[in-house]
Amino acid sequence: MKKTAENSYGAAAGQAFDGGRDAFLQAALEAVSARFMLDGASFYEYDEKNALLRLRLRQASGVAFEHEENLRPAPGSAAARALESMQPASASSPGGRFLYCAFKFDCCDPSGGKNAVTCSGLIRLERSARRRRFSAAEAARADAFLRSFLRDYYRAEYFSLTRKYDKNVSAITELTEVFATALRVRDSFRHILAGIQTYFGFDRVRLYLIDEKNQKLKGELSADIRGQIKSISYEEIPLEAGAHRFADIVLGRSSGAFMERYKDCVLYMPLSVQGVTIGLLIVDNLLSQQRIEPQELAMLKSFGGQIALAVDNARLFDKVEELSLYDELTKLPLRRYFNQRFQEEFYRAERFKQPLALVWADVDHFKEINDTYGHQIGDVALREVGRVILANLRKIDFPCRYGGDEIVILLPQATGAEALRLAQRLSAEISELRIAVPFSKTRELRLTLSIGVSTFPQDAAAIETMLEKADDALYWVKSHGRGKIALYSDLPPANGDKAKPAPDMAQELKTSAAGGDNDAGEK
Amino acid sequence: MRGRAGKRRADNVRGGVCAGKHIMRIWLLSDYNHKKHLAFKSMLSRFSVAFPEAEAEFSVKSRRSMWESLFAHLRDPKRNPLADVMEIPQNWTELFSRLGLLAELASKVEPLARRRYPDFILKELCRHDEARAFSAPWWLEAPALFFRPGALEGVCGEPGRELASWEGFRSALDKVSAGVKKRGFRALASPYSSGAIGTADVLPRVWGRRGGLFSDDFNRATFTREETAGGIEDWLELAVSGKIELFSPDRFENGPFPVEQCAFIISSRKLPGQNSRKAAPQSRAARSGQRCAKTGARAARGGAGEFKVLPYPGCSEGGGLALVYNLAVSASSADISGAAAFVSWAMEPENLGPFTESFGVFPCFKASFEELLNGDREAGAYRKIFSAPELMPNIMAYPTAELLLERALWNLSLKIVRRDYDREDLTRELIMAQGEADYLLSLY
Repeated sequence: MKKTAENSYGAAAGQAFDGGRDAFLQAALEAVSARFMLDGASFYEYDEKNALLRLRLRQASGVAFEHEENLRPAPGSAAARALESMQPASASSPGGRFLYCAFKFDCCDPSGGKNAVTCSGLIRLERSARRRRFSAAEAARADAFLRSFLRDYYRAEYFSLTRKYDKNVSAITELTEVFATALRVRDSFRHILAGIQTYFGFDRVRLYLIDEKNQKLKGELSADIRGQIKSISYEEIPLEAGAHRFADIVLGRSSGAFMERYKDCVLYMPLSVQGVTIGLLIVDNLLSQQRIEPQELAMLKSFGGQIALAVDNARLFDKVEELSLYDELTKLPLRRYFNQRFQEEFYRAERFKQPLALVWADVDHFKEINDTYGHQIGDVALREVGRVILANLRKIDFPCRYGGDEIVILLPQATGAEALRLAQRLSAEISELRIAVPFSKTRELRLTLSIGVSTFPQDAAAIETMLEKADDALYWVKSHGRGKIALYSDLPPANGDKAKPAPDMAQELKTSAAGGDNDAGEK
Repeated sequence: MRGRAGKRRADNVRGGVCAGKHIMRIWLLSDYNHKKHLAFKSMLSRFSVAFPEAEAEFSVKSRRSMWESLFAHLRDPKRNPLADVMEIPQNWTELFSRLGLLAELASKVEPLARRRYPDFILKELCRHDEARAFSAPWWLEAPALFFRPGALEGVCGEPGRELASWEGFRSALDKVSAGVKKRGFRALASPYSSGAIGTADVLPRVWGRRGGLFSDDFNRATFTREETAGGIEDWLELAVSGKIELFSPDRFENGPFPVEQCAFIISSRKLPGQNSRKAAPQSRAARSGQRCAKTGARAARGGAGEFKVLPYPGCSEGGGLALVYNLAVSASSADISGAAAFVSWAMEPENLGPFTESFGVFPCFKASFEELLNGDREAGAYRKIFSAPELMPNIMAYPTAELLLERALWNLSLKIVRRDYDREDLTRELIMAQGEADYLLSLY
């Protein structure tokens, strides 16, 4: 019998190491019940601070069950004596025969702390009142048996911690890679949140970024416990003290008692790069109310710098991309970007046999503006021209600061007449601009545009030719007094010259506008 | 003898559970009354006899452990698989079905499809979609006041009337406590408490005062509302005044029922020995469980039959709290139809009856519930208790709100035991918990 029980315990314990702490405890209680012919056995953990015994697992009548029960041993009772002396103590009452075996040992902090923690508790062996008492010899044997089991319990704890550390090491490696490779904003934020959820599995992770310009904390993305990611861009929090808890955290204000209450299941992690806060990452277990292990908190905090850098990198990458594709002054795309789009649009126009128009505009006397009023005024003039152009285009139109004061606009699916109408509107609006020049006599500056237009397929059958024809039309306008608009196909034929004087363009524009059927540039 | 319906269900079980030799795993909620586990073990043995090809095993989890296991599955489904069938509190259904963990059962479990449950249960089954159901109501209990008429002699002339209100009950409790000096005597026992004050202790009183954790439209938390806070305070006062003992050493030594006689017991279960007149024959396991369990013997000391039952004080006109436990099938089960077939089998009156009888609760299946209600020795009292019972709202944030309250009550219990509890502590704890619950509502 003895041998069998020990064998079964050993085998069960061995298997249970892999099944986790609870499986191990269950196997041990079953083994001790069989070995000492018990009616029941209970495993209690001892909460020394509150002097409470917390039932962890009970085994009775062939059924093992967890149960929530926190009780206090009576002073002087057998249980209290066992806890005090760490020696087995037995008791009999009308309720049955009991043997209490206490244990106490130091083990690694399961929550990841550096110091060892004391693990103590009690195992209660039970027989019904009709059965024999626990003799002193039996108590000693049971205590020895349980001590051997507790050594294995310690080992089980250790293995469980080792597994946890292994998981953490792999998390560190893989998350570092995720954060390092996150580049584009749209994708990288998703990757960062998905990475955090894969390894930590919080109820929810939310990312907010600071919008410096509008002094707001703006929601970006949220990932739930199932890893589903959604936008929270609808969330905007004024970045003012007292406006919202999140704002207070970002501004470094005191979090108060409420935050203290939250600290076990919520982590608010301001994201800072070089001392500047750029956003807020919030992870929480609010729905499950499960404690975030200190070890997880520490690890996530240690990732804080990397996450902030990854977020900042992604934003910088987008910014750099924007700078490389867009002109900062006029907010219009640059020539490189335009060339790429022009090829695409030209190909589309060819393939689907759709019209395509190109408008080439030049601010009249721009060099003189710079020379007379200075580059600052010149910049203001160009910025205003850019604003007017962007405000008047359709979504499919594509403008570009081609160089200096030259602006080119691509108008997909627009005929010459439609392009002329847009050009006229732009010309009219720009001529109404008043650029303040405080130190001049006139106090203000007015602008005009010279504009040349070419179209596909009428004027050109290739990209280069189309640009060339629009430039020709512009040249014609410049050489004929500026401030006008010319469509290449309307230019008079040249005799060895690039272009000849055209008929009254204004009159022609009116005619074109009246007969147009498609409003290019109409938003 | 199995009828046609039984035969059809049997075919379902054979076709489902046994396909591919899938072993069906069941998680049962732990209970203070060990007889529930034994009765389920016995039920499963009968299932195995009826369907020898079907293999099933079960384990018992505490409420907290069940909660953690469900969330662990959400976090890492591969490492933390769910059981095929799970027993859950009825008001966890909305939360875990919305998180995608529970399979739809209305089309698979006949009593659900035919809505064979009392109306008060159906009301909270699926708030937003009457056609679907993600768990099947299994058994229910309702807190009631048990009193020993002998102990109230000279204290309470008309218990039915005088103990109908909380104030009347408190007054009688004081008189009984003052009148008996016997060592170990406790005027009031609450045998199914976990040691500390918990939500299960305070919510019946909160309901009695028409309070609750959320407003009727579920737009805000109402922990600090007078009715709610007052209900909680009423119960805390019992502990502060020593009428109930927290973390009771006696309980540790002797089990849930006091060794000595007591005058009152607040319990949501019928006391051992108080089963119905038409009690179904008990299973062998249940009988052996009774022999083993100390609780029955203790409660019966002085005769469990000596106890009379009344509605929970303050709920004499109905409207008290009923607690319902459901069976759910995991959406990730490899054999959902087999698991659903087991749920159907467990709902059958001949299987459900002995199970609920064994630990003093009521079956949810309407016909069985009504039969038991009519056949009960205390039928009058139970008809009152179940005249207009209310269930805890089945909304997503509710289970977490209960946990928030549970934590507040734990902190207060420790303060009471250390004798440094003050009314302000309750207010502070409830303000905190309410803030968290409100925040939760804004998120979910």
